[in-house]
Amino acid sequence: MTTKLIDIAKSAAGVAKAAGANDARVLASRSREVKVEWRDGKLDRIQESTKKDLAITLFVDGRYSVNMTADLRQDALKKYITDAVAMTRLLAVDEHRKLPDPKLYQGEAPGDLQINDPSITSVQADSRLATAKQIEEAARAGDKEGAVISVTTEVSDECTDLACVATNGFEGEDTRTAFWRVAQVSVKDEGSRKPVAWSYSAGRFNGDQSPAEKLGAEAVERALGLRKTKQVASGRYDLVIENRVVSRLAGQLAAPLNGRSLQQKQSFYEGKLGQQVASKLLTIKSDPRLPRGLGTQAWDDEGMATIARPIFEKGVLKTFFLDTYYASKLGLEPTSASMGNIVWEPGKRDAAAMIKRLKKGIFVTGFMGGNSNSTTGDFSMGIKGFLVKNGKIIHPVSEMNIAGNHLEFWKQLVEVGSDVWQSSANRSPSIRFKKVQCSGS
Amino acid sequence: MSTRKKGDGISRREFISAAAAGAGFVALPTMIAGCCGPLPQPPATPVAAPPPPAPVKEVTSPITYFTGFGIDEQVVAATVNEAMSRGGTFSELFFQHQIRNYVGLQDGEVNRVYSVVDLGCGVRVVKGDQTGYAFTQDLSPQALADAAKTAAVVANETAAAPVESFQRGEVPSYYKAEIPWTEVGLDKKIPLLSLSNEHAFKTDNRVKKVEMFLIDTTSNIMIARSDGQILEDYQPSTRIWMTCMAEDKGRRETNYEILGRRAGLELYTEADLRKRAESLVKRTTVLFDAVPAPTGEMPVVLGPGVPGILLHEAMGHGFEADFNRKGISIYNGQIGKRIAPEFVTIVDDGTNPDEYGSINIDDEGSPTARTVLVENGILKSYMHDRISANHFKVAPTGNGRREDFRFPPVPRMRNTIMLNGPHDPKEIISSVKQGIYAEHFANGQVDIGAGDFAFYLQNGYLIEDGKITRPIKDANLIGSGPKVLEQLEMVGNDMAMGEGGGTCGKDRQGVPVGFALPTTKCNAISVGGKKS
Repeated sequence: MTTKLIDIAKSAAGVAKAAGANDARVLASRSREVKVEWRDGKLDRIQESTKKDLAITLFVDGRYSVNMTADLRQDALKKYITDAVAMTRLLAVDEHRKLPDPKLYQGEAPGDLQINDPSITSVQADSRLATAKQIEEAARAGDKEGAVISVTTEVSDECTDLACVATNGFEGEDTRTAFWRVAQVSVKDEGSRKPVAWSYSAGRFNGDQSPAEKLGAEAVERALGLRKTKQVASGRYDLVIENRVVSRLAGQLAAPLNGRSLQQKQSFYEGKLGQQVASKLLTIKSDPRLPRGLGTQAWDDEGMATIARPIFEKGVLKTFFLDTYYASKLGLEPTSASMGNIVWEPGKRDAAAMIKRLKKGIFVTGFMGGNSNSTTGDFSMGIKGFLVKNGKIIHPVSEMNIAGNHLEFWKQLVEVGSDVWQSSANRSPSIRFKKVQCSGS
Repeated sequence: MSTRKKGDGISRREFISAAAAGAGFVALPTMIAGCCGPLPQPPATPVAAPPPPAPVKEVTSPITYFTGFGIDEQVVAATVNEAMSRGGTFSELFFQHQIRNYVGLQDGEVNRVYSVVDLGCGVRVVKGDQTGYAFTQDLSPQALADAAKTAAVVANETAAAPVESFQRGEVPSYYKAEIPWTEVGLDKKIPLLSLSNEHAFKTDNRVKKVEMFLIDTTSNIMIARSDGQILEDYQPSTRIWMTCMAEDKGRRETNYEILGRRAGLELYTEADLRKRAESLVKRTTVLFDAVPAPTGEMPVVLGPGVPGILLHEAMGHGFEADFNRKGISIYNGQIGKRIAPEFVTIVDDGTNPDEYGSINIDDEGSPTARTVLVENGILKSYMHDRISANHFKVAPTGNGRREDFRFPPVPRMRNTIMLNGPHDPKEIISSVKQGIYAEHFANGQVDIGAGDFAFYLQNGYLIEDGKITRPIKDANLIGSGPKVLEQLEMVGNDMAMGEGGGTCGKDRQGVPVGFALPTTKCNAISVGGKKS
C-alpha cells in the first residue's frame, strides 16, 4: 500500500465514487507529536506518537455524511466506504449539500506561508529535556522567599501532513509544524490557598519561541503576584484586559458570525451586516495567509482558497463566515467557515502604559468559567486580575464577575493596545474598556 | 434495575440498592457475536478492521474481543515485555475499538450523519511517578513493539522479569444496553429525532427552530498489565442533545436539553422523548419572562440534579489525587480534617447502574467503586489512579481514566454525588430572604490551587422573602470552593441525578461524568448579573 497521503486520499475518493457516491471529499492527515513534561527537578511524563486519520465526506443522491477512520488498509477502507455510502442513502435529501464551486478552489498562489519548520526532524530528545529543565530553573531562580511549591514545564512539537482531494477538482497538500513551551508554577499563600500561574509560548518555527529563562521568570512572577487576593465591592470599573486572554471575550464576539448560528436564528448579528456594532476602535481582520501564523492555511476545510477579509472595520460588521452549505441555505455567497488568524489593528501603548492611566479599575489577567448567549448577546464571566488605583496595582482580586451584552459592551471599548500576543491564532493586543459592571462582595 | 424513573431523579435508597444489584455480574461476551460496526445495513463484521472478532479459539485464552484484531497472548506478552525491557514499576497496554455515530436533525429533516471508527493501542510505562507513553493505530506486532520501546525510555534499569502468561480478570457489569448500538440501524434512530422535533413544535407555537443530535458510542477495551492481568470491557453510551429557538414579540431565546447514559436504544421511549422536548421548550420560553440577574454576593439555593456541577467544580477536582500528590491542591494535607458541616457526605461512585459517569473498571484495570470522599463533613479520601495510590500507599479507588487510547490515564471523577441531608427543600427556600434559586447550569471551571470555582447559570429564579419568584438567566456564579463547602447551610432530602451528565476536561482529555445533588443552600456566592 502506498504511504503518500495524497494517493490515499485519491484512492478513497475513487472508492466512494465507485460505491455510488456522486461526489466525495477526502481529508487525510498524519501527525507526529512529541511532548516532554518536567516536574520539580525530573522528567514527569514523556509522550511520543504518530496519529493518522481519514475523513470522508460523502454526497450520495443529495444526501450527506462524514465518516472518519484511522484504518487505512485498502481492503478495510473499501468496505468502510462502501458501507458508509449505503448508510447515507437512508437519510433525508438535503438540496444544500454540495461541494464548493470549483472556481473557489482557485485563488491567488499563497507563496511561502512559512508554516513548516523543516528543522523539526532534527530536534533531539535531549534538547527538549534541557529546555524543560532550564524553564524550571529560571522559575525557581525567581523565588526569593521560598514560596514555590511546584513547577511543571512542558516542551512539545508536532508535525502534521495533510492531503485533501475533492472529486470536482480539488487537490491540496500541506505540512504544518508547531512548537510549544509551557511553564506552570504553584506557590504557597494564606491558609491552604496555592495559587497557580502559567506562561507559554507557541510558534510555527522553533526559533520563534520565547527563551526558556523568560518563560520561567514570567510564570513565577505571575504566581507570586496572585497571593493575598481580595474581593472588591460590586460596581462599575474601567478594565484593562491582558492581550493573552482577550480571545476568551473576543471569541464570544466572533462565535455567532458562523453560518449555523445565523441560519438557525441563534445569532445576535442577524440583520446587522454593515452596521455599527462596536466602538470605532474595533478593527479586526481574518488573515489566513499571515506568514508563520498559527492559524495560517492556504485552503480551508472545504478546499476553498483562503483570503484575508475585514471582520469589523471601525466597529462596523463587514462579513459572516459561511461554508458552502449554510451559504446555500441562507441564499448568500460562501465566504469560508475558517477565520485563520485574527488580526487586530493595534494602538500605541501596551498594557503597562494603559494601567498607568487607570484611575480606578481592574487589570484582568484571566477569566473563570462564564459563557455567552449567542442568540441574545448576554454574557457573564468570572475575572481574575488586579485592582488598580491611580495607575498603581493595589492587590489581586478574586471571586468577581463581569456581565453585559456584547452589542453594548464593545461600544465601551476605549483603547486597543500595541502589545500583540503572538502565541495564538488570535493575535490580540491588550484592550481597555470604560465602566464595566463588575460584581464582587 | 433496567427501568428507571426518568426525570424525577433517583432517591438515595434506590440508588444504593440499585448499585448493589449490579455488582457481581460478569461481563457477557455476547457483544462479540453481535458486533457489526456503525452501519445499519447488515454488515456482520466490524467496519474498521477485518477480519471480524472471531469466536474464542482456545478456551484457555484470556483474550476474547481483540482476538478478532489479530491480538493473542503471545503478542501481548511480547509487547508488555518490550515495555518493561528497561525496568519500571509497571506497564500496561490499552487496546480500544470504538464506534461513534452522530445522527442529526435540522429544519425538520434527519439529514446528516457523522461516524467515527477508532482503533488503537496505548502503551504506558510507569517508573515511580514518572510516565512514558506512546500509542499506535496499527496493531501489528512490530508497531506494538515500537510503541512499547518508545514508552520504555522513561526507565533506565535492567529488564523486569518477563511475563509469560496472563490471567483474565473478572469485570462486573453496571450497564446493560439491552439493545446494543451495534445492532441498531439508522432506520431506528431517525424516528426518535423526528418525533421529538414534532413534539417540540407542537408544545408551543413560539418555537421557530429545533436542532437535535443523537449520539451513540460503543467502545470495547482491553487492558493487559505487567502484573499478568488481562481485562476486557464493553462500554456503551448514548446522548441526545436538543436545542430550540423561540420567538416572542421580536425577542428570541435559545436553550438546550441533554440526556446522557450508558445505555442502548431502549433508553429512548416515546413518552420520555416527548417529556424532554416539552422540558426544552418550557426552559426556553420561560426566558422571555426573565429579569436581569442580581449582582454581588448572596445566598444561592441549588436545586436537585444538574446543579451538582457544584460538587464537581468546587471540590471534586481538588480531591483528585494527582494534584495532591504534587502538593498543589487546596485540599492537600486535609485528610481526616473537617471541611464541611456534619450533614455533608459526598461520594464519587462508578457503580450507579447505567449512569453516564459509571464504569465497570477504570482505564488501568482497577475495579470501580463507591468512594466516600467526605463523610459527615470529614475529608476521608482522594480519588486515586495507580500512580497516586502507590505514592500515598493506599489502594487505587478506580478513578484512573482516559479519553481514549491516545492518552495516559489520570485521576478523574465518575458520578460525584452529595447524599441527602436533613432539610426539607421547602424549608430551605423559605429560609432565604433575598437570593437566587439555581435550576440549570451550562458549564463550570475551577482553579485547583486557589480553590476558586465558577459555573454558568442557564435557568434560575429570584428568591424574595422566602418565595421563588421571577426567572433569571445568563449569570456566572463564582466562589471559593473550600469556603462554600465549609459554610453550606442546609442540605435537602431530595437527591437527584443531573440527567444530562457532562464531559469533564482535564489534561486536554474529556471523559463522561455524572453528578447528583439534593437541594442545597450556600450562604454566599458571588452572582454576576447585569443588574447594577
